Amino acid sequence: MKGSVKKQADKYKPTTVAWRFYLVLGVIVLVYFGLAARTAYIQVVEPEMLKKQGDMRSLRTAASKVHRGSIVDRNGRELAVSVPVETVWADPKIVMQNNALAMVEHWQALADVLDKDVNILKERVTRNPAKRFVYVERQVSPAMAAYIKQLKIPGIHLRKESKRFYPTGEISAHIVGFTNVDDKGIEGVERVYDQLLTGENGKKQYRKDAKGNRIEVLKDVESTPPEDLTLSIDQRIQALAYTELKGAVKAFKASSGSVVVTNVHTGEILALVNSPSYNPNNRRNVAIHRFRNRAITDFYEPGSTMKPLTVLSALEFGSATTNTVVDTNPGRMRIGGRRVSDPRNHGEQTLTDILVNSSNMGTTKLALDMPKEFFLDKFFEAGFGESTGTGLIGESSGIMHDRQRWSQIELATLSYGMGVAATPLQLARFYATIANGGIKRPLTILKKSKTTTASPSLFEEQRVFSAKYSQEVVSMLEHVVNDHPVEQAKVAGYRVGGKTGTAFKAMAGGYGNDYVGLFAGIAPISNPELAIVVVINEPGGDLYHGGEVAAPVFSRIMKGALRLLNIAPDANTATANNSLNTKEPSHV
Amino acid sequence: MRSIGHDQQKQRSIWYRLNIDVPLLVGILSLLTLGLCVVYSAGGQSADMAIRHAKRIGIALFVMFFVAQIPPLVYRKWAVPAFIVGIALLVSVLLFGHVGKGAQRWIDLGFTMFQPSEIMKLIVPIMIAWYVSQFNLPTKIIHILAAFTLVLIPTLLIAKQPDLGTSLLIASSGIFVIFLAGASWKLIGTCAVIGSAFAPILWLFLMKDYQKQRVLTFLNPEQDPLGSGYHIIQSKIAIGSGGLQGKGWLQGTQSQLEFLPERHTDFIFAVFSEEFGLIGVTLLLLVYLAIVMRGLWIAISAEHAFTKLLAGSLTLTFFVYVFVNIGMVSGLLPVVGVPLPLVSYGGTSMVTLMAGFGILMAISTHRRFIA
Repeated sequence: MKGSVKKQADKYKPTTVAWRFYLVLGVIVLVYFGLAARTAYIQVVEPEMLKKQGDMRSLRTAASKVHRGSIVDRNGRELAVSVPVETVWADPKIVMQNNALAMVEHWQALADVLDKDVNILKERVTRNPAKRFVYVERQVSPAMAAYIKQLKIPGIHLRKESKRFYPTGEISAHIVGFTNVDDKGIEGVERVYDQLLTGENGKKQYRKDAKGNRIEVLKDVESTPPEDLTLSIDQRIQALAYTELKGAVKAFKASSGSVVVTNVHTGEILALVNSPSYNPNNRRNVAIHRFRNRAITDFYEPGSTMKPLTVLSALEFGSATTNTVVDTNPGRMRIGGRRVSDPRNHGEQTLTDILVNSSNMGTTKLALDMPKEFFLDKFFEAGFGESTGTGLIGESSGIMHDRQRWSQIELATLSYGMGVAATPLQLARFYATIANGGIKRPLTILKKSKTTTASPSLFEEQRVFSAKYSQEVVSMLEHVVNDHPVEQAKVAGYRVGGKTGTAFKAMAGGYGNDYVGLFAGIAPISNPELAIVVVINEPGGDLYHGGEVAAPVFSRIMKGALRLLNIAPDANTATANNSLNTKEPSHV
Repeated sequence: MRSIGHDQQKQRSIWYRLNIDVPLLVGILSLLTLGLCVVYSAGGQSADMAIRHAKRIGIALFVMFFVAQIPPLVYRKWAVPAFIVGIALLVSVLLFGHVGKGAQRWIDLGFTMFQPSEIMKLIVPIMIAWYVSQFNLPTKIIHILAAFTLVLIPTLLIAKQPDLGTSLLIASSGIFVIFLAGASWKLIGTCAVIGSAFAPILWLFLMKDYQKQRVLTFLNPEQDPLGSGYHIIQSKIAIGSGGLQGKGWLQGTQSQLEFLPERHTDFIFAVFSEEFGLIGVTLLLLVYLAIVMRGLWIAISAEHAFTKLLAGSLTLTFFVYVFVNIGMVSGLLPVVGVPLPLVSYGGTSMVTLMAGFGILMAISTHRRFIA
């Protein structure tokens, strides 16, 4: 057969080269291998990136935007509200396509209304001509937006946004905080409860095709509407406290000051103010220290305002009773080479006398008379060294050393409030605790609803002192106000108790020359409702004592607050200097 | 052949009588079936499109069967007149042709649009094979130059339409003949040099802007991702999102959601890759390889020069189809309009291809008659 083929093919001599076919075959196999390798590379080596790219092209998440909730005080007064504004943005590509930059007058008008330089504005838009989105100006008023709309510059668009407005201005600035330009809370309550205020934006993740049709919904999260947040703050008391504090800080040339007003039964904070403050509606050029919510971030040595705790501890331990007389002669003593002294010799003193005279000797003797573990425990139980539970961001826990070794002198100084540091909020909580009959509650910035009896805070409340001894200390505090030293703290018509404190400011390595004047008090004594702490930091004038700088502020705020809250006066007569309450049957 | 068992021989003789090459047919049918499935998926699961595609497959199979019945030497006889008519058609297309999609490729026959460049895909290798097979080895340079000229005329006419993909395929089909016929390496080297010297001329005078853009895009697709780079980026994404196993038939998001342009025609490979993954791609390439190897086997065992060269050229052109298409879709080559043979939707090129396979089958089965 082969032979015959040759013969037949003679006419057409083989002009092909067989090995070329094999070469071609080899090349082809190689090329196929190359193609397979290429696909393998795309599919196995790069696929994550490409899969992501694929999803980027087809997966979309639509957020159904919700309005940020308002923040209101306990009576429904608005502290923070959202107002509609518009944002001006540019689409540089469209601007360039329409040669819109040639509309010189229009751009000038736009720059004028935005109070910007026209060249800077143009430069911003033309910097990247391929871009599709550039902010021109955010949060312009609806009137300005309408004007810009009239200009009809191609590629300049408006977008609805909302802006926060704070009607109460600097009064509640620290507690309410503020949001940034994207409507996200970055300070104060705005930040802590950001999620609640924002609500959960409804989210729909879906796959779309190239024409933008929705193909399938992959995830659908229902939006939770934003909630209005009702704070425990009473804006009336807040305003009063701020006015008084600001005045005092100015009058006493103090560097700063804070006031905390709490409801002793619920732990609600009715007012929390600091001076200096700032206007949250215009935060440009505000010195950064003004943003500080000093009532929660700054801590001071509470000084004599701690003495009630020492007395209470002694009562609790049983080493003293209301009838105990402490011999503080000769008004000074040495402990381990350090001196403890009173300004003058108070001789023999009852516990009431110790607080009235603010006797360092008295509290020292009481402190050294009980086991240090018991004494120290009472400080921790009173809430020093722990958070007050408001959840506010930046809240400090103060300083209360949790160590094994305490020397006698350290215990002695601790008994009159040195060697421990507390925020005004912690101090307020301690006074609220004794006013509340020894039951400690976390403080809260949110209003507690009266209807829900089983509020979670019920479980958080904790009896740290007995009702009897707490009440005894409270009535001792009334004596402190009514007897000689702090006339300024009195409130006409009400029985008021409280304690002054004056401390050197602790500095690195010791004490400086600056003072902190404090006053912490409770009213009305017959059935305490409010605990108020006033801190005047670094008073620069001649007056610096807590009784001189802080007590008057306390008195005025307490007076106003009691009236605003419609709390019945409990003093017999408006001017009665009632010192007969030791006869009250409830104690001793 | 004689050692084959009785039954097989009998069966084979049936196919032989029908002039059908069984291995080739199996490969072709599997590709066509696959093509039908992928076209259905890529066309947004439109039954209309699938039915149209199926009809074309039917026509193409008929054409293949018909062509296979013609003894190869008949082509040899008609090579020159066919070539002359083909050239005339190409010229008339340029003069009176119907303009569509920025190119002048079609002649309106009244009842259908006819694309002369398609028929040239067959005529050119036949013509060159006829020409080269007349001379003894080693082929003289003068003959080779003449053969080149014969290739160049239709190539340029088609490039002028412009239809870069087809002119490329036609040029390669002619050059394969010359190569297989035994052009010396020196000559091949010279041609390569001339070819590269020709490139700037091509760039400056012959290529239209959109073609230049394609080359630039190929070199850097990310330069204009929403414009000219869009095809290739989308196609890479589609291929890559298939991964090893693919998303499954009808499950490809990029293609089903119409992100991928030309997904049922030139870019059908991307659809296939997304839905069937690397495993599917490997199998597909193996089928193509099998067809090409079978074609080469037919060429090698063809008994005289003309059929050998023709078979080799047709097979290699088929291979170039596959290579250019997959290379383009996977970003290895610039985008030129070459469909994925036997899989892509589109009638004319499939019919031409199947006619080519018909010739291959004729070469494979008519040996006896030659003998």
